[in-house]
Amino acid sequence: MDGMDYDPMAMDGDSEQPQVKISAVLQQADKTHVDFELSRTNLSFANSLRRVIQAEVPTIAIDLVEIEVNTSVLADEFIAHRLGLIPLDSKNVGDLNYSRDCDCEQYCEQCSVTLNLHAKCTSDDIMKVYASDLVTDGQHANSVGKPVINDPEGLGCLLAKLRMGQELRLTCIAKKGIAKEHAKWMPTSAVGFEYDPHNKLQHTDLWFENDTDPAKEWPKSKHAEWEDPPQEGEPFDYDAVPNRFYFEVEAAGNMEPDQIIQNGIRILQQKIGGLLKGLDPRKYGGEEEPDFDGPRSPDMNLDGSTTPWQDTGYQTAYGGGYGGGQTSYGGSQTSYGQGSQSSFGQDGQGSYGQGGGGSYGNMTAYGTTPYGQSSWQ
Amino acid sequence: MPGRTKKDEPTAQDTNMEDAPPSAQPEAEEVDTEDQEEVQEEEEIEPQRVRILPGSTDTAASFEFVDEGHTVGNALRYIIMKNPDVEFCAYSIPHPSEPKMNLRIQTYDGLAVDALKKGLADLQDICDVVTDEFTTKKDQFNAEHGIVR
Ligand SMILES: [Zn+2]
Repeated sequence: MDGMDYDPMAMDGDSEQPQVKISAVLQQADKTHVDFELSRTNLSFANSLRRVIQAEVPTIAIDLVEIEVNTSVLADEFIAHRLGLIPLDSKNVGDLNYSRDCDCEQYCEQCSVTLNLHAKCTSDDIMKVYASDLVTDGQHANSVGKPVINDPEGLGCLLAKLRMGQELRLTCIAKKGIAKEHAKWMPTSAVGFEYDPHNKLQHTDLWFENDTDPAKEWPKSKHAEWEDPPQEGEPFDYDAVPNRFYFEVEAAGNMEPDQIIQNGIRILQQKIGGLLKGLDPRKYGGEEEPDFDGPRSPDMNLDGSTTPWQDTGYQTAYGGGYGGGQTSYGGSQTSYGQGSQSSFGQDGQGSYGQGGGGSYGNMTAYGTTPYGQSSWQ
Repeated sequence: MPGRTKKDEPTAQDTNMEDAPPSAQPEAEEVDTEDQEEVQEEEEIEPQRVRILPGSTDTAASFEFVDEGHTVGNALRYIIMKNPDVEFCAYSIPHPSEPKMNLRIQTYDGLAVDALKKGLADLQDICDVVTDEFTTKKDQFNAEHGIVR
């Protein structure tokens, strides 16, 4: 079977939706914030990015608490819950395994960080126990798993208060996880996501009280300045789609915001890579898929023949056409399983047109529009 | 989901409870305990996360993705729909408590599987561009504003 009828070279060369661009409206970039505009892409992808940075970027959080002594007024599980929510340094979370993937029985230093807390109030004054009182095991060379402390006093979050004679002695096991499982693993505390600040697309049904001033009731966001307001009497454009997305990422402190985004995209890549591998185990390096007598595996070709993809391979399809084989995606260079180096960095000069809209020539692998469309949409 | 709410005889209810398929599960054939064990075992080795659902043909196929959701589903749907050989593409999450995402692809020409593979590859390309772009612009911004990391 011929498979796709179009010329795979041309199609693969420019691929789908290549002109994604962050126009870098980084208005603010400190330790916890990064604001940027993602443009020339579609709502689906922008939303995927938002979802992935909120729910699937791994961090470290306290997962198991062994309480030896707790004579405070707070219940054990209450304290355990508070401990779980303490942000722990996760910049080097990549060094840790998921406990479920680790070779160990329950947990070990390769998949966990142990934190100890011992506090006893011996004076008449009320004693405050802070996150900074948690002591890491020192099994890890870097700061991984240390409580994040941002306040000027260097105390961290308040955990509990103890009166004279009350004691707290516990051991915490912090593990790697994702927010899909529990919100304590969220790397972000908030992610702003906005598009179409003037509501030209009418995706939002703005609701008004009687006689109030619409402009006052629905004040424009700061992003409204970046886009043209609707003209007086402008007809509704039925073909318009959103294409500029404003992200305001606020990190919880356990990771820097740009690391969150980079990791997020990598997670997305890995998801896709994993699916491709599942579809085509021979090409993407994996075992032959096991016999399965339920629903068929897509790799078992429907008509029993091989697909044209397996013959030509991505390398030729990508390499021959545009950019002289420098595309960031190519048979053996799949981002899957190789970390970040493979998929980016070759085009460090930033040839995607930093200047603005005009510079999207055919100079990069991503320069031409997909499927012969004249616009990137 | 056929006939899952069939009413049992009140007297038989207690004894039948265990055999009755849980409401949101797939059809009875797979509820066999042996099968389930097999699936579990398999997942430990190499999980088969994409399957073609029964009733699919070369050009019109439904895929079932295990452990995927809107994050991949919507982006994939969009990207596959951009393929001129694709007549129809849509995704759904049939039940919120099952970690499954179904994707339907109908092509004018070519295999539906190929359209899926192409969609995934295209999505990877987008990711590549966005990371590259983000890194470049972030470094540029930091340089301009004297932020040292
Ligand atoms: Zn371990």
